[in-house]
Amino acid sequence: MPQLSEITNKIRESARKALESGKAEVVIGYRQGTIPLTTAPFFARTAEECDQLVWSNFARINLANYLSGRTGKVALVAKGCDARSAVGQVTENQILKDNLYIIGVPCSGMIDNNLVTAKEPRPISEAVETTDESITVKGGGFSTEIQKADVLRRNCATCVNRTPKLADELVGPEINGGAADDFADIKALLGKSLEERMAYFKDLIKDCLRCYACRNACPLCYCPICFVDETRPQWLGKSTDSMDTMTFHLLRGLHCAGRCTSCGACETACPVNIKVREFNRVMELTVQSNWRYEPGLSWDQKPPLTMFQTDDAADFIK
Amino acid sequence: MTEYIVKQNALADFFKSLASGRRLLTPRGTGDKCKLGETPPDQVTLEYTNTHLSPKSLLFPQTERLMAFHNERDKPNGYVYQSLGDNGEPTVVFGIRPCDARGISISNKVFQNDRFTDPYWKGKIDQTVFVGLACDAPSPQCFCAAMGGSPFGESGLDALAFRQGGDLGLKTLTDKGAELIKAAGAQEANLADEIKKLEATAIEAQGVKADYKPIDDLDLMDLFKDPHWVATAENCLNCGVCTFFCPTCHCFDIQDEASERGGVRMRNWDTCMSWLFTVHGTGHNPRPTKTERVRQRFMHKLKYIPLKQDGVRGCTGCGRCVAMCPVNIDIRSVALKMTQTAPSPA
Amino acid sequence: MSDFEPKIVAFFCNWCTYGAADLAGVSRLDYPPNFRVVRLPCTGRLNPKFIMEAFKRGADGVWVSGCHPGDCHYIAGNYHARRKFILLHQLLESVGVDPNRLRFSWISSAEANKFQAMAKDVVENVKACGPNTTFRKEELNLGLAEVA
Repeated sequence: MPQLSEITNKIRESARKALESGKAEVVIGYRQGTIPLTTAPFFARTAEECDQLVWSNFARINLANYLSGRTGKVALVAKGCDARSAVGQVTENQILKDNLYIIGVPCSGMIDNNLVTAKEPRPISEAVETTDESITVKGGGFSTEIQKADVLRRNCATCVNRTPKLADELVGPEINGGAADDFADIKALLGKSLEERMAYFKDLIKDCLRCYACRNACPLCYCPICFVDETRPQWLGKSTDSMDTMTFHLLRGLHCAGRCTSCGACETACPVNIKVREFNRVMELTVQSNWRYEPGLSWDQKPPLTMFQTDDAADFIK
Repeated sequence: MTEYIVKQNALADFFKSLASGRRLLTPRGTGDKCKLGETPPDQVTLEYTNTHLSPKSLLFPQTERLMAFHNERDKPNGYVYQSLGDNGEPTVVFGIRPCDARGISISNKVFQNDRFTDPYWKGKIDQTVFVGLACDAPSPQCFCAAMGGSPFGESGLDALAFRQGGDLGLKTLTDKGAELIKAAGAQEANLADEIKKLEATAIEAQGVKADYKPIDDLDLMDLFKDPHWVATAENCLNCGVCTFFCPTCHCFDIQDEASERGGVRMRNWDTCMSWLFTVHGTGHNPRPTKTERVRQRFMHKLKYIPLKQDGVRGCTGCGRCVAMCPVNIDIRSVALKMTQTAPSPA
Repeated sequence: MSDFEPKIVAFFCNWCTYGAADLAGVSRLDYPPNFRVVRLPCTGRLNPKFIMEAFKRGADGVWVSGCHPGDCHYIAGNYHARRKFILLHQLLESVGVDPNRLRFSWISSAEANKFQAMAKDVVENVKACGPNTTFRKEELNLGLAEVA
């Protein structure tokens, strides 16, 4: 049962070393959030600033998001999924491999705040965490202990890449095992009628505000101009039309195909709690079954959409 | 300014009367599903923290059709834009929180002032009576008092309701409110001292003691040029969550959409966090990076609006952006950094 | 539904299917007139958003056709396109777009007969699906008294 403080200390130590040795000019990690149940991305540039870095059960945002386009040397505090995204950034030429130093943190999963508030609906003013197994939330006259296993994010519950194997160093013992996403719900959905599927996805995005937080939190979405922001021609209307919203989600799903590492940053960022990953999971399933490809697991694999086989199976093409 | 009381057993009749002849909108649902909705009078509840989204969409919908034209040249007004009207209808909003009401009063000065009147906003607000519900149990991210408001704030409201044991106390603030409350059969009562006591307790419960006053006294350009903005903006994702949830963010984008039958001009919420918000036709963008965009948002809330609106801050302390920001950019911390800006030598 | 004439947007590669359509025309092969052709330099140029845009604006069907694998004018354009089609086909079907509305085919510029047969087949399939009511933008509500 690793103590969070132990990991925090190791992260700080590694960060200081990375800065001192010149491996990095900046360390991107997490600091304590200003409200309960959160952390904030933090950029440490001095040894003193490294003391603000923490490890937490709420380190949900994928910090690889801050890598694309960076020119200086950078160290990244990364969970398994984040490290895969960082490798993806290197593969896609968004950052030089030599400029990247990954401080890998074996991760037992991050907490979904919505599940916490479902278990403890009273206003929470403080969350205490000492280990990576449980948290205690406190508020006006109550103190409730919650097991992390009960409130894991969906993507964390089915993670099989908890240890960032390609990291330059690990700050804790490896965590392995777990049951992979079997896509049972997606497969069941595909067994339903066209009308039911359409209804399911339209209902899924009915609250979407098109704030694009999912896109902006996503380490894959680094296009200088996103297709939703293009004006000549304008592909997407700016109104609340449901089909414009649908098109955004479909195209984002398509753009992330073969690149998504299931880090869950999109769902974490969504302010109206849309299960954005459903679109990505449909694509993940397709990519895995067609090309057996999983992104971010080696430095030299080519993303499936940058290559082809002359015998790619596509029976539907007449 | 008269106080009234509605006894617990008379509440059902009171809400029935509020709803007679008009829509009654109250917060419904819990957590992220809590929103203003048309509520049957017997289902009104006082048990909620606040609506997930701010109530601004009531007067300023995310998409609002302003005018339209049709393509039938033989019929009257072919190809001519015509106003689609204000879409207002008689409405009572009960249970809006004082922070959000204050947000409406701030936006009101943008949409109705001595230079412009926005007919679409005016049409709706003129037909709406706002009865607020004071906060006796502020949530952890509330800081209205620190921003110059109060859990018992009156700005933007026609009447303020508050819980008085099991009964409902009321204080009328405008003629519109007085007429409504009187007609609903509330009994006059002297509750001024009681309100003062409750308000003091509620402010105490918020516990935010920060003083943002120095921002008001600092020079605009000093605040603008301060180097902290680079660090403040460094982890911003430039999503628009803060602006979409903010009760005072009112920027919009005018868009035309057309089909073979005709066209519609509409306005949609826009966000200053977006690159597209300021990009010019030439391709030049005066706010090219997230640093400028983040600075704009906080300067607008904490300096530009106060300068234009007699010192009233553009942040009402509702705490939505603090709770919703995916990377925990907390306006309270940013405001504190702004107070520490070094004034340039005179 | 028998008198329903679908609108189909067709994206043809300049080097093959577009030529096949031309050859079918000069050969006096008759085929249904339900599709509007957009000429592309290569199916590799086809951005998936073109297809979505066509549906969104009310097309009842979309037909994409290019060179046979191995015959691309640009060596590999259609191989890359094929991978995109695999994903797009699966994605649209998964969210409930009838796969009969969306046709991909390989037709060389010599295959006028295949073009004719395919054109008939595409139109028949889309006709059987009926008008596209689910995957399109809502009709603009003008809200004007004159045209109510």
